[in-house]
Amino acid sequence: MSTLLTYISVNDGKIKRSSLEVLSRCNELASLHGLKSAALVVDSAAAAIADQLKQYGPDTIYTIENPIFKNHLNTPLLRALSRVMEEINPRLVAFASTESTKDILGALAANSEAASLADVSEFELTEAGVKAKRPVMASKIISAVEAKGSPVIITVRSGSYDVTEKSSDAPIESIPFSFNDDELKITLKEIISASGDKIDLSEAETVIAAGRGVKDEEGRKLIDELASVLNAGIGASRALTEAGVYDPSLQIGQTGKVVSPQLYIGIGISGAIQHVAGMANSKVIVAINKDPDAPIFEIADYGIVGDLYKILPPFIDELKKVKNN
Amino acid sequence: MKFYVCIKQVPDVNAPLQIKDGQLIQDADRNILNAYDASAVEEALVMKEAHGGEIEVVLIGPEKAKETIRKALAMGADSGSHIITNGDESYDSFSYAKILATFFKDKEYSYILCGKQSQDTDSGLTGSMLAGLLGIPYATNAVGLEVTNGSLTVKRQGDTGQEIIDVPSPGLVTCSNDMNDPRIPNLKGIMQSKRKPVDTISVADLVVDVSSESVKTHVLSYEEKPTRQPGKKYEGEPEEVARQVARLLDTAENVI
Ligand SMILES: Cc1cc2nc3c(=O)[nH]c(=O)nc-3n(C[C@H](O)[C@H](O)[C@H](O)COP(=O)(O)OP(=O)(O)OC[C@H]3O[C@@H](n4cnc5c(N)ncnc54)[C@H](O)[C@@H]3O)c2cc1C
Ligand SMILES: Nc1ncnc2c1ncn2[C@@H]1O[C@H](COP(=O)(O)O)[C@@H](O)[C@H]1O
Repeated sequence: MSTLLTYISVNDGKIKRSSLEVLSRCNELASLHGLKSAALVVDSAAAAIADQLKQYGPDTIYTIENPIFKNHLNTPLLRALSRVMEEINPRLVAFASTESTKDILGALAANSEAASLADVSEFELTEAGVKAKRPVMASKIISAVEAKGSPVIITVRSGSYDVTEKSSDAPIESIPFSFNDDELKITLKEIISASGDKIDLSEAETVIAAGRGVKDEEGRKLIDELASVLNAGIGASRALTEAGVYDPSLQIGQTGKVVSPQLYIGIGISGAIQHVAGMANSKVIVAINKDPDAPIFEIADYGIVGDLYKILPPFIDELKKVKNN
Repeated sequence: MKFYVCIKQVPDVNAPLQIKDGQLIQDADRNILNAYDASAVEEALVMKEAHGGEIEVVLIGPEKAKETIRKALAMGADSGSHIITNGDESYDSFSYAKILATFFKDKEYSYILCGKQSQDTDSGLTGSMLAGLLGIPYATNAVGLEVTNGSLTVKRQGDTGQEIIDVPSPGLVTCSNDMNDPRIPNLKGIMQSKRKPVDTISVADLVVDVSSESVKTHVLSYEEKPTRQPGKKYEGEPEEVARQVARLLDTAENVI
């Protein structure tokens, strides 16, 4: 029986929700087409993570455990994935779209001569392979695409599917893997971690995004305060990541991250299409901008026209009251 | 050091577009140098200015795309190679990667730079596919590059932080537009660009299978995105609007 394989993204020992979204979709497709859904964990502590996966309903859980996977490096990950693909010959390999998985998608597809689709927002199986939808033109429109052959390799945008829990008694199979340092070719010298990035933006239920209108220390303090009242992740527009005000890993948009929270609050952000590309799927959008014609108001459910320095203090107070009730 | 920069001409995403019967209709005149490639060219120029070397740009595209090669030459690249297509092929990232791999097969270079993605399709595949086909080490999503003893140290934007990676030569790096602001060509650059050599190669002359049967991914149709209706605008006393919106987020939306 052919297999739909979901790669489980792990960050600091924690499973990324976006990869469970992909697994849930693959489970659904597998039962629809009478196929097998398998999850794959490639990590330095894969066994511990594999156990947690049983509650998300795969038929089999494969693991590759090796210290080399403590940090992301494309060479060993590519080797591991090629090894797994040879071993189980899947019909589909699906990843959550992250900077780590996008790093290897193209090379993996080229090495295995498989068709690949990046950053899809929907996917289904067809006779020929996979049909999917992808936002294009800075997410202004959607393209329906088809990838032919077997396997097809895809990455899926976060927030595209719901996570469904379903306990299973999936067997855990460890796949032997060894790797010599001299095969590495590239060397990781250092990781500069974003300070204060406690909440993973792509998984946050509430996102506060700061733009060029947030001009100084006082503005950033207001943003921090609002985020702490709402227990929100903080993101930023390119104007502020470029200026070094916020860490580049917090950038939301075409170049940065895709977020799909329940609540997005854009503050002093004009709403350029490249920014909107990364947040348009938020459930409720609030915008605070002093320019009544700012494009962000075209997509905002609640558009507050005004100076953020005047709006935020009473807004924060009100939200505190609402929270305490 | 010899740098090759792979550049692509793409439709300007800011130009108005229309969908008719599932087809995308765009203003054919509004084509630009892919923003991520412009950043790759800029970064190569900065490295050349500091350490010397040579920069050649490579573009696969129809005759008309020569203007994009000229743009990169006007920025300061030394020479170009134009791999000419008819412009009506339905190539995917893998087709472009295969053509580029054939082009690079017998070339000598220190590094190949690509953009991290095409601005119109956001695929982000060609660079690492090309590295895979050439069997060379690579790093994607670079936000900073540094040369030490002829070798590149790449700062790449990872999921939660920045990874600093040594990529030995020959290697490949895909560049984010977050690493610099590409220079705007000045008049002198534009004048000089006209005298810089551009080699023309026909796809047919490269021995590579990019026949339509070999292309594995296709666009079937284009669709409008489900539009969001603009909601209500709140203007007036800051205290009053703040109170109204905060309450509604709680009671009407239940997201607090
Ligand atoms: C290929 C490409 C990729 C890109 N990728 C991204 C991306 O991933 N993410 C991204 O964000 N951008 C991206 N951009 C850049 C994007 O086009 C915009 O330049 C950027 O989003 C603008 O950021 P901004 O809204 O903060 O700044 P601006 O456009 O300058 O807007 C600032 C806004 O703040 C308002 N304002 C000012 N002061 C106040 C105040 N006191 N109170 C209230 N409002 C105030 C102003 O009215 C204005 O609307 C990309 C561009 C390109 C070409
Ligand atoms: N037609 C082309 N000519 C030259 N380089 C290209 C071409 N297509 C893609 N590339 C390179 O690959 C990158 C984008 O890959 P992708 O997003 O897969 O289309 C671009 O930034 C270029 O560096």
